[in-house]
Amino acid sequence: MGIVKASDVVYEYIRRDDEGNVEGITTAVDKVSLDIRQGEFIAILGHNGSGKSTLAKHINAILTPTEGTVWVDGMDTSEEDKLWNVRQTAGMVFQNPDNQIIGQVVEEDVGFGPENMGIPTKEIWERVEESLRAVGMYEFRKYSPNKLSGGQKQRVSIAGVLAMHPKCIVLDEPTAMLDPSGRKEVIRAVRGLNQVEGVTVILITHYMEEIIHADRVFVMDRGRIAMEGTPRQIFSQVEKLKELRLDVPQVTLLAYELKKRGVALPDGILTAEELADALSAYY
Amino acid sequence: MLRDITLGQYYQTESVIHRLDPRVKLGGTLLFIISLFLFDHFAGYVVAVAFLGIVIRLSHVPFRFMVKGMKAIVFLLILTVTFNLFLTPGRELVSFWKLTITWEGLALAITMAVRLTILIIGSSVMTLTTTPNNLTDGMEKMLKPLKLFRIPVHEVAMMMSIALRFIPILLEETDKIMKAQLARGADFESGNIFKRAKAMVPLLVPLFVSAFHRANDLALAMESRCYRGGEGRTKMKPLVYQKRDGLAYLCIVLYLALSITAGRLVWMWI
Repeated sequence: MGIVKASDVVYEYIRRDDEGNVEGITTAVDKVSLDIRQGEFIAILGHNGSGKSTLAKHINAILTPTEGTVWVDGMDTSEEDKLWNVRQTAGMVFQNPDNQIIGQVVEEDVGFGPENMGIPTKEIWERVEESLRAVGMYEFRKYSPNKLSGGQKQRVSIAGVLAMHPKCIVLDEPTAMLDPSGRKEVIRAVRGLNQVEGVTVILITHYMEEIIHADRVFVMDRGRIAMEGTPRQIFSQVEKLKELRLDVPQVTLLAYELKKRGVALPDGILTAEELADALSAYY
Repeated sequence: MLRDITLGQYYQTESVIHRLDPRVKLGGTLLFIISLFLFDHFAGYVVAVAFLGIVIRLSHVPFRFMVKGMKAIVFLLILTVTFNLFLTPGRELVSFWKLTITWEGLALAITMAVRLTILIIGSSVMTLTTTPNNLTDGMEKMLKPLKLFRIPVHEVAMMMSIALRFIPILLEETDKIMKAQLARGADFESGNIFKRAKAMVPLLVPLFVSAFHRANDLALAMESRCYRGGEGRTKMKPLVYQKRDGLAYLCIVLYLALSITAGRLVWMWI
């Protein structure tokens, strides 16, 4: 069994009217099964309302499935007494950096998780230092979070999760509120965690550019997993992606259009360099 | 810029008073305030002013910052002085129209004014030399025994520090909403007080909605970082008494003894 495993997970939001009668049931996650191995970089892609955030919240035991089971490192997330172990094993970073920073100084915020876990003071300081270094925010440790840019704040949030020594980090659209340079900063930090520290990363996003470096990609649509594969496999199916209302990166789209017009290019080109190589090989 | 807003009125500098444990400063201020009501001889005030003067000197905070705190109580000060001046019965000093000023009234008015001034400046010294964060930490630790009476001390302290963290964020948000509403023709400036209060509604409603959203998000983020109240929590920056804190306590006790006995000492001299 991998670090995160879900089998036939169903999650239903029940809408009620003022008297508490059931008005309707929305199935946000519909029979999703997946198995993620330790050390993998997973991307979960989907447009708004596809159920990707709901699925992410299951991995951190913020939500528990209506049907089916989610295991994190072999622990069933719906078991009450494993709750804190699950949350410590699978850390979560949210969308809005302002709403998840608790401390008034960067280092205090990073120390918040370890404090909650009851780690001795001396070790908290070690963890804070190493986590801030891992995301490149050590020089800012004495700053007030209000004085940082969006990308920097999000890196502090990541450090805050990292300080809890999780085996797996779930990032729920961490870049949705950032500008392009902030997005790059955060994605670089996340890749670093995965490659250098060996943390399993589950990145939820709707930016296609961010999934290029993933080992595996799941595309969600209406609560189900619609596609699964390596980024190259996913991007070679441009028609299907368009059907799922997802934007294909410009380079991939250009290659796809060229191919349609009769230029013999390989499927699923991901970067500008690849396209340039393929084109120069052609002529 | 709203980002640079200073919370509370903390004055950033390096001094012995700044480095003291917040518990010493809290307890010291409290004892100092109580002491002002314990003695009734002018010699006591001389001791109090001298003590305060030394502390201000040690704190390296410019005196004008202390006086700033006085602005808030000017009205209260005038009110107290007036009432004491005119409404105290006793030997007549001057009398005009229906009002009479008595010797006792004059003495009482002056005492009250001096007491209030020292009190406010004394507590300003504490807020000027302690970060809000430190202050909540100190309060949490000092009030811990209240847990026995089921008072949620840790929770209250946590709430205070979160409130402090969100003040600048909400201020920024207010600014944003205000601009958005101004752009759509809202008028916050003109009209009488009722009109202006009514004009605040389109500002406050979105602000409240967003504050609730933020609170919900923050609660989720805290839970996902294993926050489960004060039980079994360790501290990254625990409060530990140093040698200087002990010395400070000693100074406060000495001051207390001196200020209370000052009146009698002067009596003996004469």
